[in-house]
Amino acid sequence: MELEKTRADIISTVEFNHTGELLATGDKGGRVVIFQREQESKNQVHRRGEYNVYSTFQSHEPEFDYLKSLEIEEKINKIRWLPQQNAAYFLLSTNDKTVKLWKVSERDKRPEGYNLKDEEGRLRDPATITTLRVPVLRPMDLMVEATPRRVFANAHTYHINSISVNSDYETYMSADDLRINLWNFEITNQSFNIVDIKPANMEELTEVITAAEFHPHHCNSFVYSSSKGTIRLCDMRASALCDRHSKFFEEPEDPSNRSFFSEIISSISDVKFSHSGRYIMTRDYLTVKVWDLNMENRPIETYQVHDYLRSKLCSLYENDCIFDKFECVWNGSDSVIMTGSYNNFFRMFDRNTKRDVTLEASRENSKPRAILKPRKVCVGGKRRKDEISVDSLDFSKKILHTAWHPSENIIAVAATNNLYIFQDKVN
Amino acid sequence: MEFKLEAHRIVSISLGKIYNSRVQRGGIKLHKNLLVSLVLRSARQVYLSDPCPGLYLAGPAGSPAVPPPQPGEPAAGPPAGWGEPPPPAAGAAWPEIEPQPERPADPAAPRAGDAEPGAPMTGAGETVRGGEVEAAEAAWRRVEGPCEAAEGGAGGPAGGSDGFPEGLREARRHCGCPPGAADRPGPLGACPRVDCCCAPRPAEDEPPAPPAVGPRKRGAAGVGGGPAPGSSPLKKPRRNSEEQSGGAAEEEEEEMETGNVANLISIFGSSFSGLLRKSPGGGREEGEGEESGPEAAEPGQICCDKPVLRDINPWSTAIVAF
Repeated sequence: MELEKTRADIISTVEFNHTGELLATGDKGGRVVIFQREQESKNQVHRRGEYNVYSTFQSHEPEFDYLKSLEIEEKINKIRWLPQQNAAYFLLSTNDKTVKLWKVSERDKRPEGYNLKDEEGRLRDPATITTLRVPVLRPMDLMVEATPRRVFANAHTYHINSISVNSDYETYMSADDLRINLWNFEITNQSFNIVDIKPANMEELTEVITAAEFHPHHCNSFVYSSSKGTIRLCDMRASALCDRHSKFFEEPEDPSNRSFFSEIISSISDVKFSHSGRYIMTRDYLTVKVWDLNMENRPIETYQVHDYLRSKLCSLYENDCIFDKFECVWNGSDSVIMTGSYNNFFRMFDRNTKRDVTLEASRENSKPRAILKPRKVCVGGKRRKDEISVDSLDFSKKILHTAWHPSENIIAVAATNNLYIFQDKVN
Repeated sequence: MEFKLEAHRIVSISLGKIYNSRVQRGGIKLHKNLLVSLVLRSARQVYLSDPCPGLYLAGPAGSPAVPPPQPGEPAAGPPAGWGEPPPPAAGAAWPEIEPQPERPADPAAPRAGDAEPGAPMTGAGETVRGGEVEAAEAAWRRVEGPCEAAEGGAGGPAGGSDGFPEGLREARRHCGCPPGAADRPGPLGACPRVDCCCAPRPAEDEPPAPPAVGPRKRGAAGVGGGPAPGSSPLKKPRRNSEEQSGGAAEEEEEEMETGNVANLISIFGSSFSGLLRKSPGGGREEGEGEESGPEAAEPGQICCDKPVLRDINPWSTAIVAF
């Protein structure tokens, strides 16, 4: 299979940093690639800053847990940036079991003139040294180096699905299927368990944690979503173990839509706070929902991503597509939300105008600098010229991971092993 | 009928997924397996609770009748046709096809076929059953209703195992909420998302499924009774499945799938015969003991962490065990 050859290249996470200057991607092979936006030059005012590769490093390697006879995949599940506090950049990257804090820094000078070492680093015979000198820093070609500063390991029995940096910038949380742990960046040998939904008898297990995120401003609050389509808001001030939620968000099920696969499609694959902190957005298999934190009994907005798949759930179950975990993102002003679909389509919903658009990320259909043409899926009846019918959709081309620049209309879309960066056209 | 085929197909697919997850890189994924087991449970519910293919869910008045999907079609069937009566033609075709699909139920429900008719089920089994499968059962209750009388003939299993008769029992409580709801300690203590309407069912034909079911099941599975006879019930299905899969080639498509399913069962069974020996009542302790072992060893044994009922017959127990 062609795909097998490029398997390690498949992008598994995409994330802009807080200024939007850097864009990080993680892939199935455990690598992290960071892109940096080039400074806009005065010479080319019409050319907005493009993203070029800034640094590449191997974050995680495959491991084998001999005690449990488990292979631990090196695939990067999530990357989260820390806010920049000095010249270096810091990010967290995680695979199924281990979170690592990476420092990405530039080096453009190097010391020269050591006494005990020669220029190639070989030790000199002290007897040959007749004078002493002070090493000086000389300019060198810019080198970007990534070093692992912390490794947070052995705290998760199940597979880590989320990490989230707290607004206090001192702590972060990591969530697996059944537990959420709180870490301090400085301490790697212990973490606090703040959520534990593991039942005493695993046979009674009915739901797992699917995603978790800290509130953007309140360092005591976080949310986590479940495979049952519910979201819980927890307050760490209430108790050490936040097994009891402060708020519980759940929409009653529509009985007319019941099927074998109702439970699967209601499982939430991603949860994101709005930048304002007032709303949360959740993604399940067919919809994106926006919830107001002040209203728990139903979402305030529901957007159909690809409802035409509702009648195809059995096939999607057979080919495993129904288990795909799509992410969702807010734009900087929380007015537009975006999520991916199949056939390399991704969708944007404008919350104010209620308009939506379907776009495609593919080389064939878009040359550089070309404007993306809206796409339409034809659900039956007569297919118009530019429409694509549901049966022609390529389900192997799925857009699971997207990111939106924190302040500008620049989006990054990961289509299997390709990264597309789209910008708003400047007039 | 098509619902049953569809359910059967989904069951085999689900088992296949669970099996494949064992060999997947990165270890068994709890979330995916949980979802698969929920589908498996729903499909199994439908499959086992509808031995009378002619009796379909009575949809709400005014719902359009939908022709059943062709077997090969990806199932627009059950979801779309949920709650909708089948076309009359299906009933006519049923008697020929019906025998085969019953077979897959055999390893699934050896106890059901073997039980004496009319044997009461233990309250424990019922209770345990009720809570956990509520959500799945809810929509199926309407299927179970018309088959009540027919299934009553087949009787509940001795030893209080689960199986469809239990579901039927539940259905007989026409309040809609399963009796075990309050008792169930699990998260499904209340009635979540229960489509509890006991819509009046149209009087429908009751083809002679149950009597046919009994002997057929007994013959195919060769299991001498339910979970009560403790000695490795799975070993018997294994022998039978080997015979069966041998013979499957000559038989219909459903038979092939059955052989497949039974093979999967035997594969599961070979690893955890201890867990499989248990009966619902006494076995629970053993099951829990088994669980605590894997518990200590944790994620290597994530395969044990399935939300499948403890009271489930060996077939489903195998799924838990694996």
